[in-house]
Amino acid sequence: MAKKQTPFAVPMGLIPTPVQDRLESLSRAKSWTNWAGYISAGTLDTVEFEYFAIRNQCTLFDVSPMHKYRITGPDAEAVMNRMMTRNVAKLKPGRVAYTMWCDEEGMLIDDGTLFRFGPDDFRLCCQEPMFSWLHDLAYGFDVSIIDESHAVAGFALQGPTSYSLLSDAGLAQAGALKPFDLAEVEPGLWISRTGFTGDLGYELWVDWDKAGALWDRLWDQRGHWGLRAIGFEALNIARIEAGFVAAGFDFQPSQHAQRLGRGRSPIELGFSWLVDFEKGHFNGRRALIAHRDGGARYHHVRLDVGGFKPADGALLYHRKRKEIGHVTSGVWSPTAKRNIALAELRAPYGGKVKDNIWAEIYVNQEGQWDKRLVPVRIETAPFFRNDRARATPPRAF
Amino acid sequence: MKKTYDVVIIGAGHNGLTAAAMLARSGRSVAVLDRRATAGGMIGGGDASLAHLIYNLSGSEIGALGLRDRLSKVDTVSLSATGDHVIVGDGGVTFADGRAHPETAEYRALVARLTKFAGLLAPLAEAPPPAFEGGMLSRSGMRELLRLGRLGLGLKFMGKADMREFLRILLSNAYDVLRDELDDGPLSGALAADAVRGSFSGPRSPGSVFSLMYRLGQGGQVYTASNGMDEVAEAYAKRATDAGAAVILNLGVQRIVVENDQVTGVVADDGTQIAARTVLSGAGPLSTATMAGIANFDAETVRRARNHRCKGTTAKVNFRLGGMPTVAGLGANHLRHRLVVAPTPDYVERSFNPAKYGEIPDHPTLEAVVTGPESAPLLSVNASHVPADLRGGWTKAARTKLSKTVLQTLAAHGVGGLEGAKSVLVASPADIQTDFGAPGGHWHHGEMGLDQILTLRPIIGMSRYRAGPDGLYLCGASAHPGGDITGAPGRNAAAQVIKDGVA
Repeated sequence: MAKKQTPFAVPMGLIPTPVQDRLESLSRAKSWTNWAGYISAGTLDTVEFEYFAIRNQCTLFDVSPMHKYRITGPDAEAVMNRMMTRNVAKLKPGRVAYTMWCDEEGMLIDDGTLFRFGPDDFRLCCQEPMFSWLHDLAYGFDVSIIDESHAVAGFALQGPTSYSLLSDAGLAQAGALKPFDLAEVEPGLWISRTGFTGDLGYELWVDWDKAGALWDRLWDQRGHWGLRAIGFEALNIARIEAGFVAAGFDFQPSQHAQRLGRGRSPIELGFSWLVDFEKGHFNGRRALIAHRDGGARYHHVRLDVGGFKPADGALLYHRKRKEIGHVTSGVWSPTAKRNIALAELRAPYGGKVKDNIWAEIYVNQEGQWDKRLVPVRIETAPFFRNDRARATPPRAF
Repeated sequence: MKKTYDVVIIGAGHNGLTAAAMLARSGRSVAVLDRRATAGGMIGGGDASLAHLIYNLSGSEIGALGLRDRLSKVDTVSLSATGDHVIVGDGGVTFADGRAHPETAEYRALVARLTKFAGLLAPLAEAPPPAFEGGMLSRSGMRELLRLGRLGLGLKFMGKADMREFLRILLSNAYDVLRDELDDGPLSGALAADAVRGSFSGPRSPGSVFSLMYRLGQGGQVYTASNGMDEVAEAYAKRATDAGAAVILNLGVQRIVVENDQVTGVVADDGTQIAARTVLSGAGPLSTATMAGIANFDAETVRRARNHRCKGTTAKVNFRLGGMPTVAGLGANHLRHRLVVAPTPDYVERSFNPAKYGEIPDHPTLEAVVTGPESAPLLSVNASHVPADLRGGWTKAARTKLSKTVLQTLAAHGVGGLEGAKSVLVASPADIQTDFGAPGGHWHHGEMGLDQILTLRPIIGMSRYRAGPDGLYLCGASAHPGGDITGAPGRNAAAQVIKDGVA
């Protein structure tokens, strides 16, 4: 006799994160977006309030929707090294690495942060789903791969007063963490000194069902330190200021790009320093060597853009005539008081040729479109840099 | 045995031996290692020989191996349960009693057309599959372009009607093409069986026209070796040793050593280390990658190697008989020709069905050859559509069932004198994988489907014989152009090594 099937409801629509009820009550904008199938805030109040809180106070961003994978076992390091362009053997337990990984053609699949808990114990946090890719890499190796996306929640606490708030919340131990350090400060609560703002900040990791309590514990200390909950839009301004690339914006994850030639290598994105050709074979190594020796096809650069109108998506020209690329992320930077952008240029522009580059910006002024050709300058340093981001112990604000 | 060679070849199958001869002649020191006690792989081994006919060997290779007067062309006898056996050979198409077959003209026209089309594709088999490395306008690119251009011109020169027909049937199934021209019967049945022999497919599967053309690549003649297949195996081994290659038997390779993305040698089963900057593997893509260390291959390559379609479906069943068998209605002079049990294309298609579900067909498609002395001849049978992954496993009972089914099927199609048949070999595809290292125990070391030929053979990224680290090559039938006794994969692989200028 066939066994009676237990009725099982497939959840419809977006999934709430463990603090959706808190965010819901804070939200004035009711601006929700879909982040990897979860409800995520675009803005909660206004993007200006939230942005200035990142740079002047501190902010809480719910990063629970992030894909999180736990890789454990005797061959965990070997599998991570097989995947990553960096040398994972150099990553010590209790440390986090920003890392990239490529397909067989040397094109970037995704970037993310790799946490090392112990010799045989890693967590990978990233934007794109990687479960089947991890299994492809793991064939023939002794590892176990668990999708922790729905088991582990995360909050990014970022901004100059973030440490002070942690301290008041009874988590002063975090003060000992240097950038990219990772520690279990209380049983089940891990804190890493990482973030997406280029400023002082921490990420807190806890079991999904403990996340609400942790949020409240931080939130209770908000008054004195100006804590605000924020959404993605404000964070996006901060990450462009810091010069960080984002999947789907500054590069197209190669496993999802449908059209030929949309992939970009870490070298083209300006991350040669993340590629270790000497560590042995890793995915895409042969293609990347050919790529390195053959010369980059594109240069991903930071731009100072003339005028004040954000240049997001603008086409770029050489000598105002020849189209040579486009802006991948562009925004007015309130802190730098400059019009800034990340852009992709076809080689040799952005490499050998750096002068006489123009951006074509379309501006809509109450229904009237205007086209402006403004000069741009290639920058090497990030637009936002503050030594408080690296000072250990962190200073109090 | 030396400790250092320029080239080590894994597997002394005929492809490995062909590559060995060519590379040794180019001045390289070459060692061929094989786990088995005899050279020749699936060819030879006395009563346990898997190969019993030669279908596809080019005339120049037959000459080069010194086999010109050792091979005899045989007719095909397609057996019929009603005694209307059909004989196809140089004498035309007749019934066993001498009557002319009513479809002689249609059959000849069809085979002539397919052979012509096969001839058009044949140049593609004689070199590595097309690629435009270094761009289309580079020197090698131009050469490739010319080669493809010749195919295009050949197509064009055939005339509009033939060109249309070629393009119409190339990707289609053998069943429809055969039944368009021929009636249901042993004649069309034998062609349907040829189209799928060795494949995990039936004549109604798409791509079976291509595999039939492949079979006709050298004109479609079938040969037996007058002094047995051992002599063919010896000819391959002799050609390699005469050229200066060392053929080392009873010694397999457990590991290919890779340092800094460069092959540096192999470790033999007994732990002996042999240094070599170039290693050719006669094994399939996945076992080659495993020997060389999965870590040295990109995940995409490994995924494709794992998904390599190589479900073996041909079992070898050999019997020692007490005397020459008889076939009711067939003259004794035809007993040593190729005997086929494929009474209709439908029969062949139906015999494939059980294999899909891990079962032995009750009515298998067979190909039998009688060799050896009249007093105690060997009845050598290829049984098609016998699954590697048999439900319940390849137990003793399953083997007995298979040999019984084979004998019953032969008897049902008029073969007599099988009463005292003594089983001397039951090799399931699973056994063939274990004993010979053929991926999946597959006749062609991998399905000859449209997704696994030319630049896609055996898998994307390995089609130019190069596999992963520098100095590692595939040289077995899993590589382009594919299976049968042709030596073409071995020859092409050696040519690629010489072209790459390694070792």
